[in-house]
Amino acid sequence: MVDASTFLSISIAGIGLGALYALVAMGFSLIYKVTGVLNFAQGQLALLGAYGVVIFATPAVLGLNLPAVVAVLLTIVVGLLLGIILERVVFRHFIGEPVLSVIIVTLALGGIISGFLRFLVGPNFMSYPDALKPGWSIDLPLGASIGASFTLGVVLSLVVVVSLMLFFRYTVTGSILRAAAADEQAAMVLGVSIERTIIIAWALSIAITSIGGILLAMASGGAGFTIEAVGIIIFAAVVFGGLDSIPGAFLGALVVGLLQEYGSFYATGVIGPGAGEIIPMVFLLVVILIKPRGLFGTERIERI
Amino acid sequence: MPCGEYFTSYGSRMGLFRWRTQRIALVLGLPIPFLAPLAVQGGLLSTITQIYIFAIAVLGLNVILGYAGEIVLAQGAFMAIGAYATSQILADGLFGVQIGLLPAIMVGGVFAAFVAIMFGIPSFRVKGFYIAISTLALQFISEWFFNNGQLEWIHGGTQQTIPFEVGLVGQWFTITGTDMELYFISLVLMLLFALISLNLSRSGMGKVFRAIHDNDLAAGVLGINVFRNKLLAFAIGGFMIGVSGGLFGYYIGFISPDYFTLDLTLQHYVMLLFGGLGRVWGALLGVGIVTIIQEFLRGFLQSVAANATSLEPVFFGVIIIVVLAVEPKGVLAALGQLKDYLRKWPFAY
Repeated sequence: MVDASTFLSISIAGIGLGALYALVAMGFSLIYKVTGVLNFAQGQLALLGAYGVVIFATPAVLGLNLPAVVAVLLTIVVGLLLGIILERVVFRHFIGEPVLSVIIVTLALGGIISGFLRFLVGPNFMSYPDALKPGWSIDLPLGASIGASFTLGVVLSLVVVVSLMLFFRYTVTGSILRAAAADEQAAMVLGVSIERTIIIAWALSIAITSIGGILLAMASGGAGFTIEAVGIIIFAAVVFGGLDSIPGAFLGALVVGLLQEYGSFYATGVIGPGAGEIIPMVFLLVVILIKPRGLFGTERIERI
Repeated sequence: MPCGEYFTSYGSRMGLFRWRTQRIALVLGLPIPFLAPLAVQGGLLSTITQIYIFAIAVLGLNVILGYAGEIVLAQGAFMAIGAYATSQILADGLFGVQIGLLPAIMVGGVFAAFVAIMFGIPSFRVKGFYIAISTLALQFISEWFFNNGQLEWIHGGTQQTIPFEVGLVGQWFTITGTDMELYFISLVLMLLFALISLNLSRSGMGKVFRAIHDNDLAAGVLGINVFRNKLLAFAIGGFMIGVSGGLFGYYIGFISPDYFTLDLTLQHYVMLLFGGLGRVWGALLGVGIVTIIQEFLRGFLQSVAANATSLEPVFFGVIIIVVLAVEPKGVLAALGQLKDYLRKWPFAY
C-alpha cells in the first residue's frame, strides 16, 4: 500500500493544497496581528473570491462575459474595496469590544456573505471559464506531477509570505502596522493614523484571501460551496503556526494540507468518506490541548 | 423599585418574585400559556411549541455563554447528539429496557453533557477564542459523523424516524404525539429549565460562574476552582441543549444532520443576544421574538421568489451585527431603559 511513488505524489498534492490554504490562513493572521479581530468569515470571504470570478467571467449571473484575467483582477480589486467597506461599516464599531462580540460579528458576516451568494448564484457548482482551467502540469521524479493550480498556489503563496515578511520588516507602512499591533495607544500618540493602518490591513487581508479562494476554485475546476469549509480548516493551520505569526500560518497550512491529503488517501477506507477534512480538525484539538500558543505565537501574559 | 416596598431580609431581596406587581403578574400570566391551546390551533400552536423547545437550548447556551462566559459554537452538535441518542434509546431501549420518552430525552441530555465536558477540557489552559474554535471543530466533526454511513453502528443511521406513539415514562402514559401533547410536554420542560436557570443564577454556583466570566484570574486568586466550574457550566448547559435536541427530534419526528448545522448555532446566538445575554427572561423573549420574525420572514420571502429563502441568514446576520453595535445587552436592557424613562416622565430625573 505504501509505495514511494504514491506517497510522493500524495505529499506533493498535500503541499499544493497546503499552499492554497496558506493564502487564506495568512489573510487571517494578518488581520489578527494588526487588529486583533479573529475572523471566522475567512471561508466565506474565500468563497466570495471564488464566486467573484464566476460572476464577472461567465454570463450566468450578471450577464457579464469578461476575459478571465480581467475577471480575476476585478475580483481582487473587489476584495480590496470590500476590506475598506467592511472596516468602515462594521468593524470600526467593534474596536475594543469583548472577543465574543467580534467573533459573533464575523460569524454573522460569514452567514450574510454565503446567504447572499446562495441567493445570487444558487447552490450549484459553477464551472470556471476554460481560460482558468489550465491543463498543464509539471512532471517531477518518481512519476509524480503537480497540477497547474497547485503550482500557481505554491508560487503565489511563497511570493505572498516573502513579500509580507519584507513588507513588515523594511517598509514604513509595515513598521506602522507592527507598531499599531504592538501598542495601539502609543502608536496613536506618535502620530500614526490607526484608522488608515487598520483599513490597509483589512484590504490586504481580504485581497489575499480572495486570491486563495480563486486558486482553490481553480483546483477543482469551478466554484462550489464546499470552499466554505476552508474557513474552519485554516484554524488548524493558524493555531499550529501561532495565531499572530505569518510564516507560522504558512507552515501550519502546509502541514494541514499534507494531513488532509494523507488522511483522505489512507484513512478514508477506515473511518469513511470525509476523513481528509476530519483529521485536520482532530489535529487542531490536539494542538489546542498540548501547545495552544503554536509554533511561533507570542505568549500573552495576563495580569489581574 | 416601586415606592413603599422595602426588602427586610436577604431572602426577600433575592426572591424570584420580589414585588407586588411581579406577584400579580405571575398569578395573571402563568395560566396564559396553559390556556393558550384553547385559543390557537394548528400551525401557530406548533410554532409556539418550537419556541419552547428552542428556549430550552438557548437557556442552555445562556448557562455556558451568559453565566460562565465561554463561547460555544456547537449548539447544532449538542442538539444532534441529544436527538440521535433519544432516537436510538426509543428504538432499542436502554440496555434492552424501554424507558419511555422523558427518560430517553434526559439520557440524551446526559450524552450531550458528556461530550460538552470532553470538549471543555481545553479550558484547563485556554479560553475565549480557543474554546470557540475547539467547539467549532466539534460542530464540524459532528456533521461529518452523523452524515457518515460507515459509522452507522454508533449513531444508528444518518436519517432516522422517531415514532410518535411512545410511553412518557416506561410503557405507561402512552401519547400519540398530537399538537396538544407536544405543546404541554415542551411547555412543562421549558418552565422547569427556566426555573432551574433562574435559581442557578441566584445560587452560589451561578455567582461563581459570573465571577469566572468577569475575571477568571481574579476568581482563581479568590480560591475558586476555575477549571472545575467551567466544566460544570459546560455540563449543565450541554445537558439542557441535549434535552432540547431530543425534544426537537421527537417534535419533528424525523432527524437528519441537515437540521443541526452551524446555521442553527448562529440562529440561537441571534436569539440570545437579541433578547439579552445572561438573563433568563432575555433568552425567552429573544427566542419568542426571533422565531416569530423568522416565520413571517420565511412566508414573505417565499412569496417574493422561490430562491429568496436563502436570504434568511443575511437578515439574521444584519440583526445580530446591529444589535451588537447598538445595544449589546439586548432588547431586555433596552426595555429596562424605556421603563426607567417612563417612570420618571415627564421629569428629566
